[in-house]
Amino acid sequence: MSQAVGTRPIRQMLAWPKEGITRVPLHVFSDPDIYKWEQDLIFRGPTWSFLCLESEIANPGDYITTKVGDTSVIAIRTPEGGVNALVNKCVHKGSILCYDPAGHRKHHDLVCPYHNWVYDLEGKLNAIAFERGIQKKGGMPEDFRKEEHRLKRLRVETISGLVFASFSPAAPPLAEYLGPVMVQHMTRTLHGKPKILGRYSQVMQNNWKLYVENSRDNYHPSLLHAFFSTFKLNRLSAEGGTLQDELSRHHITFTKRHTDAGDAFYDTGMLRAMKTDYGLKDPSLIDQWMEYEDQITNSIQSIFPGFVLQQILNSIGTRQVIPLGANKCELVWTLLGFEEDTEEQTYVRMKQSNLVGPGGLVSMEDGAIGSFVEKGIRGDLDGVAVIEMGGKGVGGMATRATETSVRGFWKFYRELLDV
Amino acid sequence: MSNVVTRDAAIPLSPEQAGAIGRLLVAAIHAIDDGRFEDWPPLFTEKCLYRILTRTDHQAGRQFGVWFCDTRAMLEDRVSSIRSVNVFEPHVYRHVLGPTEITGLLDGVYSAQTNYMLVRTMYDGDMTLFSAGRYLDEIVIESGRAALRSRTVVTDSVRYDTMVALPI
Repeated sequence: MSQAVGTRPIRQMLAWPKEGITRVPLHVFSDPDIYKWEQDLIFRGPTWSFLCLESEIANPGDYITTKVGDTSVIAIRTPEGGVNALVNKCVHKGSILCYDPAGHRKHHDLVCPYHNWVYDLEGKLNAIAFERGIQKKGGMPEDFRKEEHRLKRLRVETISGLVFASFSPAAPPLAEYLGPVMVQHMTRTLHGKPKILGRYSQVMQNNWKLYVENSRDNYHPSLLHAFFSTFKLNRLSAEGGTLQDELSRHHITFTKRHTDAGDAFYDTGMLRAMKTDYGLKDPSLIDQWMEYEDQITNSIQSIFPGFVLQQILNSIGTRQVIPLGANKCELVWTLLGFEEDTEEQTYVRMKQSNLVGPGGLVSMEDGAIGSFVEKGIRGDLDGVAVIEMGGKGVGGMATRATETSVRGFWKFYRELLDV
Repeated sequence: MSNVVTRDAAIPLSPEQAGAIGRLLVAAIHAIDDGRFEDWPPLFTEKCLYRILTRTDHQAGRQFGVWFCDTRAMLEDRVSSIRSVNVFEPHVYRHVLGPTEITGLLDGVYSAQTNYMLVRTMYDGDMTLFSAGRYLDEIVIESGRAALRSRTVVTDSVRYDTMVALPI
C-alpha cells in the first residue's frame, strides 16, 4: 500500500540544504508529491500515531474511526479486552466498512455496507454474501480463498489511557519510541481516568508540518499570543524549559509557577486572581488549582509525527494532527477531565476551555499563523526557513528562547525520508 | 408579521413580548455583523451563559466547546481581547436567521430556538459558509426589554475553519 506510486524518488525532489537542520526548504510545505512520500515513509513508516482514548471504546465491540495520515483506520475493543486497529477498507471494492465516527458492533464483526463481506475483529474475512451463488448460479470461483484476503492490521499499544498504532514492524515498541522522559510526562499529565469534556476540530489552511513545528516552537508564544501578557497574567509563571527524548524526536515545553505567586491568593486550594490586579473584568477565567506537584502550570508535549498533549493551567487535552492534502490539515482537539474530578474542578476546566482551541483567547492565533506562512511562501518556494534560535543543534535546554525541538522534528523527518 | 412564533398555542406570548424577543434576536446578530461588538454583551443578563459547542457534543450531553462564558463580564473580556489582543486577518460575519420558535415558558423564562447560517468574508473577499446551526436561548423580559439569560450555539459541524475569533 503506497501513495507515492508513480511519483519521482523523494531524493530527486528534495535536496536538503548543506546547512542541515537549521534550514528547511519551503517547498516541503506545498509539494503534493512530497506529501505522498510522507504518507508512506512517515505515517506508514516506523512511527506511532495517536488513535483515540481507551475510554472511548470501553466495551467489547465499541469502535471509533479515525485517520493515520490519509488512511482511514478503525480502532475496536475486542471481547478479550484488547484494542485492535484495522484499515477501514474492504478488500473487495475498497469501500469503508465503518462510516460513522463511533459505534458498537454487537456481533463482534465488521460488515461492508456494499456487498456484505464480513470480517472478524482481527481483520480475517469470514463470510462473503452469495459466496456459493444463488440457486447454484454465480458465486465466487472454486479457487477463491477467503484466507488470502484480510484487512490490514496495525500494531497497537496503549499508554496512560491513550491508544497509539503503527503500520510498521520496524517501529520500536511504543515506550521505547517515546523514551522515558516522554512516558513519564504523559503518565504525570494523565494522572486520573480520562473522560472527554468536549471535542472539536480546527481546520488549518496550511501544511500539517507547519502546525507540528508550531507545537514545538517555544520561541513564539510570548510574542504571538499576547493574551497572557496583555492581561498581566504572566507573573503566575516564570521558570521554564524544553525537554526532549534522547533522540530529540519528541518535545516538551513547560513553565513553572513562580515561587512568589504575585497578588493572587489561595482560597480553599484555588489560586484565585484578584480583580484589581488584572485587566480582566472577570478574572475567574484563570482561577486554577495546583494540579501537579511539580508546580508546572503549562506544558505542551509534542510527539512525532502529529500528537500533542496539553496542560494549560487546568485545561488538559489532546490534539491530533490529521493532514488533508499538501496545503490543509485539521487538528482534532479533545478536552479532558478525569473521573476523579470534583464538580468545582470540572467547572474550572470548563472555564479555562476559553484559553484553547480555535476560539482560544491564548491559542487562536495558531490557527491563522500557519496560513500566514502558507500565503507568504506560496509565491517564493525556492527559499528556505532559517531555524537557529537557541543554536544549531538539538537536545533539551533550560530556556524557552530556542527552536531546538523544531530542529529535532526535521532531524527525524530527514532520517525517515532519507533526504 | 412576526418572526417569533410559539411551538403550541398554549404558550402565552403577547404581541409586545414577541416584539421584544424579535428585537433582541436581531440586535444580537446585527451587533456582531456590523462590528459593534461592544453592543453585544449588554444584550445578556449579568449572570448568563454563552457557549458554542458542536451538535455531536450537545447530543452527547457535553457542556462546552470552543467558547464558554458565564458572566456578562466574561463576554466583555472577550470583546476587549478581540479588539486589542488577538491577531487574525480582518474578517466579517453575516448571519441569516430563521424564524424563532418559543418552545416553552417556565417561571418567566422563555426557551427559544432559532436556526442561523453564517457567512464569513475575509478582507481579501474570500467568502465561506462558516457555520450553520441553531441558537438555543433562554430569554427574560423585564420592563418590556428582552435579554438573553443563556445562549447555546449548537454548530452542525464539528469543524471550525481556522478560528472562531468572533462570537457566532
